[in-house]
Amino acid sequence: MIAQADRTTLAEQQRRGRFRKWSLPSRDVLLLLGPAVLYLIAFSVFPLLYSLRISFTDQGAAQDAAQWIGLENYARLLSDPFFWNAATNTAAMVGAAVTIQVVLGTALAVFFNLNLRGSWLVRGILILPMLLTPIVVGVMWRALFNPDWGIINWALEEVGLDAPNWLGSTEWAIRTLILVDVWQWTPFVFLIVFARLQALSVEVFEAAQVDGAGAIAMIRRITLPLLWPAIAFAAIFRAIDAFRSFDLVYGLSYGGPARSTTTLSFLAFQNGFQFQNYGYAAATAYVMVIILMVATTVLLRYVRLRGADAA
Amino acid sequence: MDLDKGRRRDAVAEAIDAVLNGELNRREFIRRATVLGVSGGVISAVLAACSGQVPGTAAPTAGSAAPAGSASAAPSASAAGGAYDPMKYAGTKVGILMTGDENDHRALNDKLADLKAETGIELEITSPALGPLIENTLQNLQAERSSFEIINYLGFLTTQQVGAGYFEPLQKYVDDPAETPPDWDFGDFAESNLKNVGLYDIANKKLGEGKLYGIPGLHSGSVVYFYREDLFEAAGLEPAKTWDEFQAAAEALHTDDVAGCSFIGANDFSLATVDWYTRFITIGGQLMSGSPETKDYKPNLTSPEAVKALQMIIDLLPFAPENVTTYGFAENVDAFSAGKIAQMIFWSTIAGPVFNTETSTVADKTGVGNVPADPGETPRAILGGWGVGIPANADPAKKPAAWRVLTWITSKEFNTYEADKYQIDPSRNSVFNDPALIDKFPYLPVAGEANANAQTIETSILNDFFAMNDMMNVEFNKALIGEQDAETACANVQEQWEEVLRRADVLA
Repeated sequence: MIAQADRTTLAEQQRRGRFRKWSLPSRDVLLLLGPAVLYLIAFSVFPLLYSLRISFTDQGAAQDAAQWIGLENYARLLSDPFFWNAATNTAAMVGAAVTIQVVLGTALAVFFNLNLRGSWLVRGILILPMLLTPIVVGVMWRALFNPDWGIINWALEEVGLDAPNWLGSTEWAIRTLILVDVWQWTPFVFLIVFARLQALSVEVFEAAQVDGAGAIAMIRRITLPLLWPAIAFAAIFRAIDAFRSFDLVYGLSYGGPARSTTTLSFLAFQNGFQFQNYGYAAATAYVMVIILMVATTVLLRYVRLRGADAA
Repeated sequence: MDLDKGRRRDAVAEAIDAVLNGELNRREFIRRATVLGVSGGVISAVLAACSGQVPGTAAPTAGSAAPAGSASAAPSASAAGGAYDPMKYAGTKVGILMTGDENDHRALNDKLADLKAETGIELEITSPALGPLIENTLQNLQAERSSFEIINYLGFLTTQQVGAGYFEPLQKYVDDPAETPPDWDFGDFAESNLKNVGLYDIANKKLGEGKLYGIPGLHSGSVVYFYREDLFEAAGLEPAKTWDEFQAAAEALHTDDVAGCSFIGANDFSLATVDWYTRFITIGGQLMSGSPETKDYKPNLTSPEAVKALQMIIDLLPFAPENVTTYGFAENVDAFSAGKIAQMIFWSTIAGPVFNTETSTVADKTGVGNVPADPGETPRAILGGWGVGIPANADPAKKPAAWRVLTWITSKEFNTYEADKYQIDPSRNSVFNDPALIDKFPYLPVAGEANANAQTIETSILNDFFAMNDMMNVEFNKALIGEQDAETACANVQEQWEEVLRRADVLA
């Protein structure tokens, strides 16, 4: 009832605000906000608009003045098999990696919430991977997966297992990329979910216990619904991050073999900085921006509703 | 004081005698004379007097190129008469943008103090990796004023960067005895390198013709054949001269410990440019037909030679390292240096690590020869290497000083230092054939011959060179990992290239 009243008041305020007469901000407001606004214009808005303009040109390496070609780059993208290949790889990576990270991260958070002896130490070690930069992680794992002298193949052979061609086969390379991403970013999901878990009120669980709820029921009916906003936040954050994944690909597989790990970011990098097709690269980046904007808007809306419902 | 003066005078006289008698080289003379406080004019006069006799001054090599419009390959001794002052631009600060992926920047760093002592010019080096280098270069070339007075560019990008008119014509400096050291010897540069990175006809878009815009350097390079002398000898085999012999040797020498051969099997720049292209052109293949001007510039990738060249690599898979399809540049160098490969064709620039006794187990067991070729074909491969030039939009006041530095870093002395210290492929014929260097590095004459015979890859005249190369590497890599056959791979590349060429308006 109270929540309903609050929402009505908020809606009323928003309605009034919409029709309030617009007036010039005061000098103090301008003085306080001005530097930040100028900074944003210079370093965010202008580059975005500039690259948007480039995406409508055939800007390449050897031209001082690029030709305006309208939507040609975008049309070419839609019929470019390399783009669709990169989009598929990106979708596979985001879908698989984030799902595994969420499941594993949440499970780990619930497990560590049991406060077993020595768990503080393991927790500290657990979050180490996310402290490394992805390029270092990529290079490190490439060395570990080296088919000739990598320690992983050696260990597998020692226990009598055939090591897969981690980065040399199109079938395995994308799985390897997902595996390394999961290794690095599961701790992030764990950290977010664990923090939320620590903040949950103990009384709710005690009440459930008094009512006779079992462990599974408590997790299903109480813990997970209460954790949902944190899980959703971590998942969205990770999805956005995985969608833009470039440095890990660069360090681990360089998009290969046979473009099997080329993500949209890597494709844009190749077109822009290897092949100097700046216009085409900018169009690729803008398509990514559009996809991200739509996806995050939809997802955030969904999360907010679920969050409100849960509250 | 008088005694000091007397000693100094004697020392100067001694140095002058030594340089005139050919006992002291130009660089050492300049260094001593500068320390002794001899004026630039006197140094120039002495050097001019002994021009042509100074050790390290090579006569123009037979067959070496003279740029269009030059009366002779090198400034004549008489033309050089007296006007050259090494300290003329002392106090100037010059910036160079160069590659940090090779060892050139290290060599140049080693010698910065010498450069300053001899010319009074302070050189500031910026040396990013290749990707950022290209980006940085283009930003500077397209700006109103370049931040760098000297830019080092990859030979494959000559058309893109020199052909777009971004560089300063250099012939006026070469011909001016006041600006060019008398013993710099322009005719000493390998003709192949000069055509690949130096000459460009902008009006007609022709690489290797027209005006001089760049000087070969800081290093050149092509592809040679590395083989294990001990293994070949033990098996009673001769190093391969033909591709059939290469295949036979791979089969004969393959063991559990040592692969019979290796190649770039990963999706890597050199899969197409080194392994496939070398085989392709030495079995009679021709990469492109027609010309961009007539808009019929078409690839011949479905030709029997194109498919056969790829199939030849596929046929070597059973005798290559087990994971060769993940082998790029570093993996091959490491495996060869560790004694795990019996033979391979590779960039001659890997001689550094391969012949390094501290890091290589096969330094004294490795032989170097020309790449194999079919009977009747000249052994040859792709031409690599770099050029160095002055951006047209560089500060005009600093351009002469930039040229002074440019001649210093492309001099025989510096080229020799690079080859000696880092085994970097020189761009001067005289350094490839320097007896003292050959004593230490017997592979040098072979590398020089490979460099002289090397071929500029036909697609490097297109701005889409790297994109096209990538398409080829991806399709060929797919063939090597068994996802398609050689014929399909070549047909796919043909189709993709044709689309690129149509977009570039060179194929109707």
